[in-house]
Amino acid sequence: MPSAPTPATETGATDTPPGVDRAGKPKAPSRRFDPHRYGPLIGLGLLLVVGTLLNPDFATWDNWMNVLTRTAFIGIIAIGMGFVIISGGIDLSVGSMAALIAGVMILLMNALAGSLGSPVLVVVVGMLAAVALGGAFGLAHGFLITRGRIEPFIVTLGTLGIFRAVLTWLSDGGAITLDGDLADVYSPVYYGSLLGIQTPVWIFVLVAVAGAVLLNHTPFGRYVQAIGSNELVARYAAVDVDRVKLLTYALLGACVGIATVLYVPRLGSASPTTGLLWELEAIAAVIVGGTSFKGGEGRVAGTVIGAILLSVISNILNLTSIISVYLNAAVQGCVIIAVAFLQRRRP
Amino acid sequence: MTKVATVARRSVLGAGAALLALAGTGGFALAAETVKLGVCIPAATHGFTGGIVWWANEAKKELEKAHPNLKITIKTAGGAPEQANQLQDLVTVTKIDSLVIFPFESAALTQPVAQAKKKGVYVTVVDRGLTDTSAQDAYIAGDNTAFGRIPAEYIAKKYNGKANIVALRGIATTIDNERWNAFTEVMKKHPDIKILDAKYANWNRDDAFKVTQDYLTRFKEIDVVWAADDDMAFGVLKAIEQAKRTDIKEVFGGAGSKTMVKTILDGSNPLIQADVSYSPKFIYDAIKMTAEARLKGAALPATHIIPSSLITKDNAKDFYFPDSPY
Amino acid sequence: MSLHVAFEGITKEFGAVRVLHGVSVELQPGRVYGLLGENGAGKSTLMKILAGYHAPTAGTLHIDGEARRFASSREAEQQGIVLIHQELSLADDLTIAQNMFLGHEIRRGWLLDDRAMRRKAEEALRQVGFEGDPDLKVRDLIVAEKQLVEIAKAQVRNARLLIMDEPTASLTPAECERLFALIGRLKRAGVTIVYISHKLDEVERITDEVVVMRDGRFVARAPTAETSRHRMATLMVGRELTDLFPAKRVAPTSGTPLMSVRGFTVPGWAEAVDFDLWPGEILGFAGLVGAGRTELFEGILGLRPHSAGRVTLDGREVRLRGPREAMRHGLTYLSEDRKGKGLHVNRSLRDNLTLMTLDRHAHPLLSGRSEDGALGRAVAAFGVRGDPEGRASSLSGGNQQKLAIAKYLEPDPRVFVLDEPTRGVDVGAKRDIYFLVERLAAEGRGVIVVSSELIELIGLCHRVIVMRGRRVTATLPAERLTEEELIAHAIGTHTRH
Repeated sequence: MPSAPTPATETGATDTPPGVDRAGKPKAPSRRFDPHRYGPLIGLGLLLVVGTLLNPDFATWDNWMNVLTRTAFIGIIAIGMGFVIISGGIDLSVGSMAALIAGVMILLMNALAGSLGSPVLVVVVGMLAAVALGGAFGLAHGFLITRGRIEPFIVTLGTLGIFRAVLTWLSDGGAITLDGDLADVYSPVYYGSLLGIQTPVWIFVLVAVAGAVLLNHTPFGRYVQAIGSNELVARYAAVDVDRVKLLTYALLGACVGIATVLYVPRLGSASPTTGLLWELEAIAAVIVGGTSFKGGEGRVAGTVIGAILLSVISNILNLTSIISVYLNAAVQGCVIIAVAFLQRRRP
Repeated sequence: MTKVATVARRSVLGAGAALLALAGTGGFALAAETVKLGVCIPAATHGFTGGIVWWANEAKKELEKAHPNLKITIKTAGGAPEQANQLQDLVTVTKIDSLVIFPFESAALTQPVAQAKKKGVYVTVVDRGLTDTSAQDAYIAGDNTAFGRIPAEYIAKKYNGKANIVALRGIATTIDNERWNAFTEVMKKHPDIKILDAKYANWNRDDAFKVTQDYLTRFKEIDVVWAADDDMAFGVLKAIEQAKRTDIKEVFGGAGSKTMVKTILDGSNPLIQADVSYSPKFIYDAIKMTAEARLKGAALPATHIIPSSLITKDNAKDFYFPDSPY
Repeated sequence: MSLHVAFEGITKEFGAVRVLHGVSVELQPGRVYGLLGENGAGKSTLMKILAGYHAPTAGTLHIDGEARRFASSREAEQQGIVLIHQELSLADDLTIAQNMFLGHEIRRGWLLDDRAMRRKAEEALRQVGFEGDPDLKVRDLIVAEKQLVEIAKAQVRNARLLIMDEPTASLTPAECERLFALIGRLKRAGVTIVYISHKLDEVERITDEVVVMRDGRFVARAPTAETSRHRMATLMVGRELTDLFPAKRVAPTSGTPLMSVRGFTVPGWAEAVDFDLWPGEILGFAGLVGAGRTELFEGILGLRPHSAGRVTLDGREVRLRGPREAMRHGLTYLSEDRKGKGLHVNRSLRDNLTLMTLDRHAHPLLSGRSEDGALGRAVAAFGVRGDPEGRASSLSGGNQQKLAIAKYLEPDPRVFVLDEPTRGVDVGAKRDIYFLVERLAAEGRGVIVVSSELIELIGLCHRVIVMRGRRVTATLPAERLTEEELIAHAIGTHTRH
C-alpha cells in the first residue's frame, strides 16, 4: 500500500452511526438561535416600555438623542474595552486616561492657539494628538503586560492613579478650561448634528461598525477571541500572542482618545472629576452586553446595547420622582443583575 | 565585614550628633516658642478641594516665611482611613503640637482626633464638626446654613415669591443636607415657589450636565436652577445652552469660584447674576489663626463661623483671587 | 469487604440525548473487569452512575443485593466505591496528604490532626509503591505520581470497588508495570476493579473478564482468557477490523534530510540531541514521561528557551523564535495536550481549523465562505465526524484529534511533529490516524511521532529514537523495533550500546 487514499473512505471501520460520537456531550451551536443571546436586548426593550409609561417625554426624539449622545463616550470606550476583555485582559485606567488626555489636549490647544493661527487647525491638531496619546498610553500598558509580564489588573490599577494624579497636578486641583475662541470652533464636534443626529452618535455608530467588523471579520479579531478562549492553544497555533494583546490595549487607548475628542467640546474643560468611574461603566457595559468576563467570547452589538441600557436607567430615574433619590444606585444595581440573569449561560 | 561595621557605627554617631544639635538649637530650650503645626486636608479631587489644597499651601508659604520658628506639615488624604493614618504619623513621627484638620467624615475621625488631643496636641477642626466636640479645641467653619439660605432668600425676593425651581444636590452628606434643609426652610414660607425636583449630581460637571438635560426634557417651564455648586452650575449652563431654552432666567451656583465671580464681575452671562461665598480660603484663615494663636500661647474661640455672603456685581471684586485655582 | 454490583436496565439521558439504553450487567466481588468500548459508547457515564456523579434516568443500581440511589459521589464513597478520573481531580496547590484527606479530614476536637493524616498518607503511599514525602505539593508531581496518589487516596477511604478510567494514558512502561502489580495486590485483598482502557494488550494482561459496550448498550461479556484482542476490537467497533497499521514502505534515507538537529540543548530537559529526518520518513521518539521528548520539540519550536544547538530545515539553517516562524519554515507541532494546547474546545470546528492560516481567508476581511470551504475539505479528507456547526467539544476524542491534525496540516508543513497522536482515541480513529500519517509521509513530508504507545511506534515508524534522562540513548531501525528493545533503552537496562 504505497500511497493510501483518504483513510475515511479506505477503512470503513470508523463508519459509526452519526450521533454516537457526540452522545452525552453538551452541544452548543454557535450559529443557531439562542434566547440567552438576546437578554440585553430584551432588557433594553422592557426599560423602553417602562420609561414610556412613567413619563411620556421619555419617548421623544430629543430625549433619545440626549441619551445616545451621552452614551457615546462610554460606548466607544466599551467597544475598545470589549477587545481587551475578550482577549482575557482588563483595563481599569480608562476613566483617568480620558481625564488626562482631555487635560493635555486642552493645554496643547491653548498653547498652539497663538502660534498656529487658524483655530480650526489647532482643534484638528488637538484631536489627532488626543487619539495618538490614547494609543500611546495603550501601547505602554501593552508593553508592561506582555514584555514586563505584569498582570493587567495591576498595571492599569497603577496607571489609574498615575493618570489622574498627573491631571490633578496639571490643573492644580481645579479645572483646565479651553480658551473661548477654540471652544466655539470645537463645539460642533459635540453639539453639531447631521440629519438630526448629533455628531457623537454618528461617531459611536462608526466605531461600533468598525469594531464589529474588526472582531468578527478579520484575522486580528479571531486571534483576540482565540487568545481569550485559551492563550496556550493560540500560542501553540503560531499566533503572535504578545503582539495581538499589545494591539488590543493600543486599540482601547485610541478609543479612549476618540471618546475624549468628543467629550472635551461638551464642557470645554477637564477637571479631576472628569471620567470618574468610567472604567466601571465601560466594563459593566461590556459584561452586561454578554461578553464573558473570563474572555474568549463577546459581541460588539451586545456592548453597544449594554452601554445604552446603562444610560437609559439613569435617564428614566431622572425623568421620574417615584423612587427616592437615595435609592438610584440600588435601582441601577437591580437592573444590571436582572439583565445578567436574562443572558446567563447554562452551566 | 569590618568596613561595613565602621560605616554603620559612623552613621549611628552621625544620627546621634544630629539629635544633639537639634536639642541644642530648638527641641528643648525654645519649646514654648516653636510650633510644629500639622495640617490634614482632603486631596485635590475636584474644584473645591483643589482650592483647599492651594490655600493651605499659600498659608504654609506665608506663615513659615513670617515666623522662622513655625514648621507646617501638610498631608492630603483620599479617604477617611488614609486621613486617620496620616494623623497618627503626624503625632508619632513628626511630633506635631498643633493640628488643623478638615475631616473627611465626622464620625470616623472623632476618635483619632481625640487620641491626638489626649497627647497634648492643640486641635482646630475645620468645616466638618466632630461628633464629640470635646475632642477639639476650636472649630472654624464656613456657614452651610447660609449657603442654602442666602440663595433661597435671594430667589424668593427677586422673583416675588413665585417661581418654578429645579435643584441639584451634591453627594449625600451632612453638609449637603444642611444646605438643602436651609434652602427648603426658606421656600416653605413662599407657597408659590415650586421646587419641581432635586437630584444628586455629585458636585460633578458631567453629572450636572446629564441631570439638567433630563430636567429640561421633563419640565417645560423652569425659572431658576439652583445648582448649589459652581462646578455643577457649569454643567447646567452647557445643558441649557445646548437645548436653547429661553424660559430659564437664572442659574445659581455656590461657593464663589474664581470663574463664577469673574462672570458676575464682567456680566458675561445673563444667567449668572449672583453667587454665595463659601471660599476654600477658610482653610487659610484657620491655619493662620491657629498658628498665630499658638505662637503667642493663646487659645482660639471655641467656635468661629466664617460668614457666607451674597456675591453680586456690586461686591464681586472683593471675592476675586486671580491666583487661586478655584 | 467484598461488594456485589448489579446494574438493571440503566438508562441515562442528557437533555434529549439518550446515552445509555437500558444496560444490565453484574460485577462480582474481587475481580478485575476490563470495560471496553469506543469513545462515546457510554462506559464513563455508566461508571459515573455507579460512583454517584450522575443519577440514572431509569433503571436500578443494586449494591450487595439492595437497590441504591447515590445522591453524590460522597455517598458512593461511603459504600467504598471510588472513581479515579481520566482528568485527575487533585487540587494542585495542596499537599499530597491534604489531597488524600480532602473532605474527610481527621480532626482532633476542632482542629485538624495533621500528624495523623500525614502518617496515614505515608503508609498508603508506601502500599502503592510511591516513595514520596506526603508534604509535597501535588503541583510538583508528574502525572504518573499523581495517579498513584489518587489510588492511595482511594485506599485511605477503604475502597472496595475501584474504577480506573484510562489509568495508563500518560504512564511510561515501567510505571505501568508498577500499576499492574498494585492492581494484583488490590485484587488479592478482595477489591473489585473496573479498568477502562483503549489499550487492549493491557486489558488482555491484567483483567479477568471483559465487558464490552457499544452505542450506549451492553454488547458482550466474556472471560478475558477466551477473548482474543482481535475479537475485543471487533466487538467494540461492531464489525471486522482489518489490520490496524498500513503496510510499511522501505525506509527512505536518501537525498538531503528535510530536517537536521545538531547538539540541541533545552536546559533541564534535553542535552545535545542530534537527529536527521528524511523526506518520506516516519520517525518515532520513545522514552519515559519526563525523558524530555516533548520539551525537546517545544524547544525546537521556540516555545521554550534553548541554550545550544542548530536546526536545519530543507538544507537551510533556521533560528526559530516561536511557532509562527516554525510554520513559515514548514514545521508544525501538535501538542500531546489536546484540550490545553491543541484545540479551542469551546469554539467552532471552523474557527479551530483555520486559526493558523487566517491570512489565506482574509482579503482583507475574512471570508466565511472560504473558511467553510476549507472546513468542508478537511472534514472530507480527514473523516471528521460530528456536527460541523457545533463546538469542538461536541466531538468525540478521536474526531477532536482528527480536527487538530487537520488544523496543524492547514499550513501545509514539510515537517509535521505529532506528540501522542492517539491518546484517548478509540480504535477506529487510531487506525484512521495511522493511515493518515503514512499518507503524509508517502507524499514526501517528514513525520515525527512522539509516543508512549510502543505498539504504535513499532507498527508505524521507520526509525525510533529513544531518549532517557534528557539524552538520546539509541536510534533503532525498523528491523530492530521490539517492545523489549525499546523498554530496555528507555529505562536504561540495555547492556549493548
